[in-house]
Amino acid sequence: MSVFVLLQRNIKWRFHNAFTIIVTILQPVLWLVLYSSVAGQTMRHTGIENYTAFLLPGLVVLVSFSACSSGGIMNYMRKSDGSFYRILIAPISRSSIVLGQLLEAVLCTFLEVGILGLLSLLFSVRIAADIVGIFFIVVLIFFLAFFLAALSYSISLILPNEVIYETVMNAIVLPIFFLSTALFPVDDVHGILGSIINFNPFTHAINALRTLILYGRIERNDLLFVFAIFILMGGISFGWALHRLKREMSL
Amino acid sequence: MNVIQVENAVKQYKNGVQALSGCSLYVKSGEIFSLLGQNGAGKSTLIRILTTYLRPTSGTITVLGKDICKEAVKIRSQIACAAQQTSIDTYLSLEENMLFQSQLYKIPETEAKKRMEQLIADFGLNQYKKYPVSSYSGGVKRRLDIALTMMSNPKLLFLDEPTVGMDLQSRIAMWNMLKKIRDDFGTTIFLTTHYLEEADHLSNTICIMKDGKDVIQGSPLKLRSFLRQNTLQIQFRSDMEAKTYLSSLQEHFPQKAICIKNTAVTMITDESRVDMEQVIRFLLEQHIPFYGIEIAQPTLEDVFLWMNR
Repeated sequence: MSVFVLLQRNIKWRFHNAFTIIVTILQPVLWLVLYSSVAGQTMRHTGIENYTAFLLPGLVVLVSFSACSSGGIMNYMRKSDGSFYRILIAPISRSSIVLGQLLEAVLCTFLEVGILGLLSLLFSVRIAADIVGIFFIVVLIFFLAFFLAALSYSISLILPNEVIYETVMNAIVLPIFFLSTALFPVDDVHGILGSIINFNPFTHAINALRTLILYGRIERNDLLFVFAIFILMGGISFGWALHRLKREMSL
Repeated sequence: MNVIQVENAVKQYKNGVQALSGCSLYVKSGEIFSLLGQNGAGKSTLIRILTTYLRPTSGTITVLGKDICKEAVKIRSQIACAAQQTSIDTYLSLEENMLFQSQLYKIPETEAKKRMEQLIADFGLNQYKKYPVSSYSGGVKRRLDIALTMMSNPKLLFLDEPTVGMDLQSRIAMWNMLKKIRDDFGTTIFLTTHYLEEADHLSNTICIMKDGKDVIQGSPLKLRSFLRQNTLQIQFRSDMEAKTYLSSLQEHFPQKAICIKNTAVTMITDESRVDMEQVIRFLLEQHIPFYGIEIAQPTLEDVFLWMNR
């Protein structure tokens, strides 16, 4: 019950601070519109017919990162305006406080992924997934965003200010994005780079999304593996977020 | 009945700062209790502990009969706090803010709406309902902040410097409001303040803190009578001048408690007439340019200065 009260309030905060939606979606949109158009011509000889479609799953991960990172900013704003303290001394469970904020970031992710998806249709991207496939896409994005939101929440409670927070988040997202299958097929990448890319859980999330979006195929084992990884990582990061929040009260 | 009992509370932050060092105090039900102290005396730390935000390092603290460390969850539903900084959400309307507060405290919707209308009327907020909260003046925001805390009908209300930055008119309005909260709602109020006249005017009990410890606690009358002696007040042209001659007076009258109060040097005296003669003689002999000298009754400010000297 308290989760929904807090969620509703956080959604109102988000729409009041609509610039956070614009800022976080801007970069993925630029990748979709500009980068995919330019790089698409070069990529044609590799056998990728529609590079925008190829790029879309990676951009879904990128937009999730951006939207969830902005959820961490909420903590800094709330701390400076005093409402962080008011919520913590209210008779509500600490997990409701964390969940209310994480779910808002997840909803914001869905909004931004939706916008990105609609924009991609203008670039001849066709979603091949049927209703079951779309269900799995939604579930996968949920787990992905939940993990990222909890990670952002925890980091925001460790770092002292927004500037350092933004810098650290950028330092996390770029290597993860580049060392994955977001931009290129990595079949020919071997050695240590290949191992890192394979070890990156986002590689598997992007591959699963790509299979669902572009080919409409449900690769059961791959999907189960990705769900298992992200449920585990989501659980751990939620526990960490809860731990960090409790530590705020044991200075 | 004591609604707050603090016994020998110690708080040492993890960074090593010792904010409380054996503080003890008692707050009776239905009173306005003021905590006075200089910056860094430990007032805010104490309020943060009493509102269940921080845990004490050691000591025994009970709020509404419940142990603060073991039963924080039960305490939270019966207390509310308006921190020094207003915590209203400027992206919500006045009514949304109040209803959100009631939802946090799980007040049924019908009851919450009834209470909201009453508080809007009591706190004179009716005329502001149609305007965005972000456009409110500091005083109105403060009033709304306190009205919010009353949505849950708390038994105990904590206010951290409730009138800081307010003009005199708004402060007087706030004082009347706090008395109304105590008298009409039966809420015990625990407040911190820098303003001695505020503590004097409002409080049933005052506690002065210094270096993380309570120094004295009692009614304003009791505190004033703590200094039964009169004071000699030597007026100077400016506070700079008063500071200049303070050391000469302290050196010449080493047994006396002497401190500065604005443009005057104040001296606690047992035999005011004899002391006055001696002081005047000294001032004239040393050619110290004083403006005037008088025997005065101690004020609460004198008690505060005396305790913090």
